[in-house]
Amino acid sequence: MNARRALLPLGFFTVAILAWQAAVLHSGQRALYPYPTGVFEAATRTIEDGSLFAATSQSLLRVLIGFALGAAFGIPLGVLMGFVRPVGRAVSPIVDSLRSIAPIAWIPMALLWLGIRGNAALFIVAYAAFFPFVVNAAQGARLIDRNLVNAARALGAGRALVVRSVVLPNALPAILTGARISMAFAWGSIIAAELAMGIKVTSGGSGAVGLGQLMVSTLYVRRDVNGLVLYMIVIGVISFLIDLAMRRLQRSLTPWRT
Amino acid sequence: MSDAAQVVLAPPPRAGVAGRRLTRVLEIVVALAVVVGLWQVTSITINNSTLLPSPARVFHAWLDLLHADLRQDVLASLAHLGIGYALGIATGLALAAISTRFALLESIVDPLIELLRPISAIAWIPIAILMFGISAGVPVFLIFYASLFPIFVNTVAGVKQVDAKLVHAAQMLGASRRMILTHVVMPAALPYVLAGARLSLGVAWMAMVAAELTGSDAGLGWRLFWYQEFFAMDKVMAVILTIGVLGYCFDTLLRALQARITRWSPDSVVDEAR
Amino acid sequence: MTGKIDAQSLSKTYVSARSGERVEALQNVSFSVAPHEFVSIVGPSGCGKSTLLALVAGFVAPTSGRVLADGAPITGPDPRRGVMFQDYALFPWRTVLGNVEFGPLARGATREAMRATAHRYIELVGLEGFEHRYPHELSGGMRQRCALARLLANEPEVWLMDEPLAAVDLQTRNILQDELLRLWGDGGDPGQRRAVLFVTHGIDEAVYLSDRVIVLGRRPGRIKETVTIDLPRPRKALRNSAEAGRYNEYIWNLIRDEAARAIVEESA
Ligand SMILES: Nc1ncnc2c1ncn2[C@@H]1O[C@H](COP(=O)(O)OP(=O)(O)O)[C@@H](O)[C@H]1O
Ligand SMILES: [Mg+2]
Repeated sequence: MNARRALLPLGFFTVAILAWQAAVLHSGQRALYPYPTGVFEAATRTIEDGSLFAATSQSLLRVLIGFALGAAFGIPLGVLMGFVRPVGRAVSPIVDSLRSIAPIAWIPMALLWLGIRGNAALFIVAYAAFFPFVVNAAQGARLIDRNLVNAARALGAGRALVVRSVVLPNALPAILTGARISMAFAWGSIIAAELAMGIKVTSGGSGAVGLGQLMVSTLYVRRDVNGLVLYMIVIGVISFLIDLAMRRLQRSLTPWRT
Repeated sequence: MSDAAQVVLAPPPRAGVAGRRLTRVLEIVVALAVVVGLWQVTSITINNSTLLPSPARVFHAWLDLLHADLRQDVLASLAHLGIGYALGIATGLALAAISTRFALLESIVDPLIELLRPISAIAWIPIAILMFGISAGVPVFLIFYASLFPIFVNTVAGVKQVDAKLVHAAQMLGASRRMILTHVVMPAALPYVLAGARLSLGVAWMAMVAAELTGSDAGLGWRLFWYQEFFAMDKVMAVILTIGVLGYCFDTLLRALQARITRWSPDSVVDEAR
Repeated sequence: MTGKIDAQSLSKTYVSARSGERVEALQNVSFSVAPHEFVSIVGPSGCGKSTLLALVAGFVAPTSGRVLADGAPITGPDPRRGVMFQDYALFPWRTVLGNVEFGPLARGATREAMRATAHRYIELVGLEGFEHRYPHELSGGMRQRCALARLLANEPEVWLMDEPLAAVDLQTRNILQDELLRLWGDGGDPGQRRAVLFVTHGIDEAVYLSDRVIVLGRRPGRIKETVTIDLPRPRKALRNSAEAGRYNEYIWNLIRDEAARAIVEESA
């Protein structure tokens, strides 16, 4: 039963890929349509010349920095908003309205403020990563059992200790959920930002080229459709791995949650 | 009969609700005033209307745009959104219906979705530009693609979580298979479907801006780079704020709809953390 | 011996789809319920009471043995056998009225007939004025009444009830027990009564309500003894009587050891 269930999709996808290959080769329009072996060739080529790795690590680096910035500003603000109710009530409408702006919409301002060398993309990523942290940390800190706080106070804990030993651990699961969403957002936004920059800044040459810029030059300069599909697959695989890693992290840091 | 049970159910006292609402509005007004004030002070300090246009300037630009391009841009974006979102929701619901109804098709649809889902809509932009050229096709396709997954995943989850006891209850009351579908499975899944629709709209909105920026010849996102060409940063800011306000309005609207349609539910808005 | 319900050598083994683990919930259980009889099933938790009821309702099929209703084998749920679930299983998106109307709706009643039937039974259980409340806006006792009205509105010949009073507080439970007896016809013509199979873990409740009490032992669930409650009806005056007390004690002695073991096993 189980084996048969796995066999059907496996067979389906094998046939689909073979049919795709055959259809493109048969049509004689290899330059126009991507096809499986072509994608594979693009992969070997870009891996050998190092361009795939260079661009991917460039994008990932920006994501990590942006993510760290988002966490550094987002978690404290969120915990403050959740734990001190008046602050939360006053700040949350601001956060909500800023959150509604698609991060990528800031790209013209970011380019102006921070230039084309990659910091503009960093701004977009940090902006995208910031809000899931704020929202989830605030929720985690707000949904605390007041009895726990009172119990800690009764045991003689001061405000700082209460925050450190009760509020933060209590909010940790929510913060980690925020981190997972943040990371996914950040990864989506870096590609968007780099695409927009690649399209806007046609001069190229700016040293720090990420996956997005690579896609633009593959699209407009080299017109290599197989390369484009390859980069899409890379983007998908990385976001899959990111999600997997974040879930692992979540499970190992908060083992009491199922 | 037992009066005791009825006493418990007397409605809670409503006093103070209006007062609390007023405080709430005041808090929001004060918060916004602080932000605008900070912005104003910063822009005065920087004293460079390109680098950071002042709130007043942006507001004037916005008023100007209202009578000029902005209406057109908003309409173009809404057209992209309307078509792409409708297609995405319809396709997502259809796929979910198929995959929950037929185990055989589920074994194909599910892995397909799981394979495509990590590939964000953004990653499709170059291919979409190849397929459609710089045109409305790019944002429409991206919005379609982005909204497909949340609605699909949530609908499937909603159908799977239907309490077997409720199905049994309907059966023992004599309900037919069809009636169980329309009167038990569908209403039970509805909160999840609505939550999915809201999530879909959120990601669709982001995809729309990105797609218009990079691959469209109309819409709010496209306008951003257009004004940037002329370094009309006050207009750029006006468009950015318009994007934020519209996004906020859509989400609020859907949230209200959600609360209204599922007011039978104790926690009437099923929410997924975002 | 064809009763309203005949269970013949029922066994049920659950096999976990994932681990393949087998749980023998019931083993060789036979009993019958006469047309106007009130039969209770008591036993420690996990002894298979709900399983037994689900078999009679037709929600699950037995591993071996069979259940007959009016002499015919049960193949699935049937509106002639109404069920009241442990946590009521009210449709949360339907109001009280909508829930009670569901049965008539399912059986193709006209709008007017449906509404009239629903109102009659809502009144009968004392929920008038609450027709337009959603289940989550009701107290436990009222939900219970709503579930009862929903069951009655279909006018089933057999009432299958799975711990219907377990989730309400003690005072409410006493009131609802008396209500249930009244609706069943405790004080009236025995010929008007329905056949009832009533699952409970409250021994006193079983004794107070029933004509017969089936005592189940656990792991696997088997009938330990069937106790006929020879108390006159109506029962109202007998709730705290010495006779009832003697029955309580007798049944308690039958299951005390197992109940204690159930607690230990569950915490293990
Ligand atoms: N669907 C099921 N799958 C597997 N095991 C079950 C299932 N339903 C009940 N059981 C097991 O069968 C036994 C009897 O359960 P149940 O009939 O619910 O007992 P009771 O209602 O008396 O508490 C328990 O050990 C329970 O874990
Ligand atoms: Mg049970």
